[in-house]
Amino acid sequence: MGLLIVVDPSSGVPVYRQLMDQIKFHIASGLLGPGDELPSTRALSSELGVNPMTISKAYSYLEKENVVERRPGRPLIVRDLTGEAMTDQRMKQLRESLTAPVRMALQLEIDREEALKLFREMIDTSEEDADERR
Amino acid sequence: MSVVEFRNIHRAYRKGEEVLAGLNLEIPAGQVVGLLGKNGAGKTTLIRLAMGMLEAQQGEVRIFGMDPREKPVEVKRRIGYVSEDQILPEFLKVKDVIALHRGLFPGWDEAMADDLIGRFSLPLGQKIKKLSKGQARQVALLCAVAHRPELLILDEPAGGLDPAARREFLETSIRLLNETGTTILFSSHYMTDVERMAERIVMLHEGKVLIDGELDSLQEDYSLALVPHANGEMRERLLGLNGCLGVRKRSDAWHAVFRHDPARTQSLLNADLGVKDARCQAIPLEEMFIELAGGQG
Repeated sequence: MGLLIVVDPSSGVPVYRQLMDQIKFHIASGLLGPGDELPSTRALSSELGVNPMTISKAYSYLEKENVVERRPGRPLIVRDLTGEAMTDQRMKQLRESLTAPVRMALQLEIDREEALKLFREMIDTSEEDADERR
Repeated sequence: MSVVEFRNIHRAYRKGEEVLAGLNLEIPAGQVVGLLGKNGAGKTTLIRLAMGMLEAQQGEVRIFGMDPREKPVEVKRRIGYVSEDQILPEFLKVKDVIALHRGLFPGWDEAMADDLIGRFSLPLGQKIKKLSKGQARQVALLCAVAHRPELLILDEPAGGLDPAARREFLETSIRLLNETGTTILFSSHYMTDVERMAERIVMLHEGKVLIDGELDSLQEDYSLALVPHANGEMRERLLGLNGCLGVRKRSDAWHAVFRHDPARTQSLLNADLGVKDARCQAIPLEEMFIELAGGQG
């Protein structure tokens, strides 16, 4: 089971959130594909050294969000997300990571246009860098 | 039914100096509770009351619905207990201590005991006196869990252990939790252990429960606000805000803990105090502990 999940209990982010975020990230990045099995609550709990309730909580939320599917008596599997759902998932990831920068922009009272310009610039530079590496 | 119940507990060692002053706490079956508090906050006293090693001067203690002072054997049979200052019979060999416990507990699980003996590499023929601190604690842990107790009570179990031994301790407790659904009450100064294990945090302060909540909610619904000194004297103004639990004047800024998520705290500071340059952030457990219990400053 090569699922790469790392928890940092002292980060201030609840462990169940860390698990959800990482599993979703693995799905968005393609590391986990449709039909892939997730480790059992027990196995992941012993492996990570965290309370099994925490794992169950993360799994139930993922189920509620239609990211994984529960099948009685068998491991949870990653759902086959349609193209649209996949894009939604990616946008959601991005939205969540942008919460902190947006809050900071407001706190620092940075002009809205300036902030948007910076975002565009950063995307452009990253794309150029990526092109050069190719 | 709750596995552990403390009702209005008072306990003083000297007259007028109450260690526990009207404490209430209930723990339902299967829950893992991390008990936090400064030294002297009453954690060990609370645990000793649960074990029937101490008597409350006022209030009721019920473990599995029974008074541990009245039914010590019935209660203790169903509990596993490890503490930092636990004393094992020094002149017995490891295997004799294990045999002693096997005889005391009807539910002794031989396979689990053997497995732990192997995992901890315990020297069975060695006398307890000759063991290192870590090994002695592992013997105590084995004896505490191999009868698959319904309630596991750990009082600062990892004190003085190296990180590898601490991790073994944690994993053994988690295994018991996974396999037996044991209720766990534990105190520890190692916040990461608490954050890995506990669903619920109970923070004691001055003999009472200062904070009692799900760990996840403590991390999501509480925040720390850092208010620059340029705003002037802020203590009373911050304390007057809805949800403010404590304020400390630190060298970098005023530190205030709020029972709101960072965004809500931010908007409160903005709207009610006109403070625009505060930084509000999620607060790791250790920080919360220091901010709330770390003395007045």
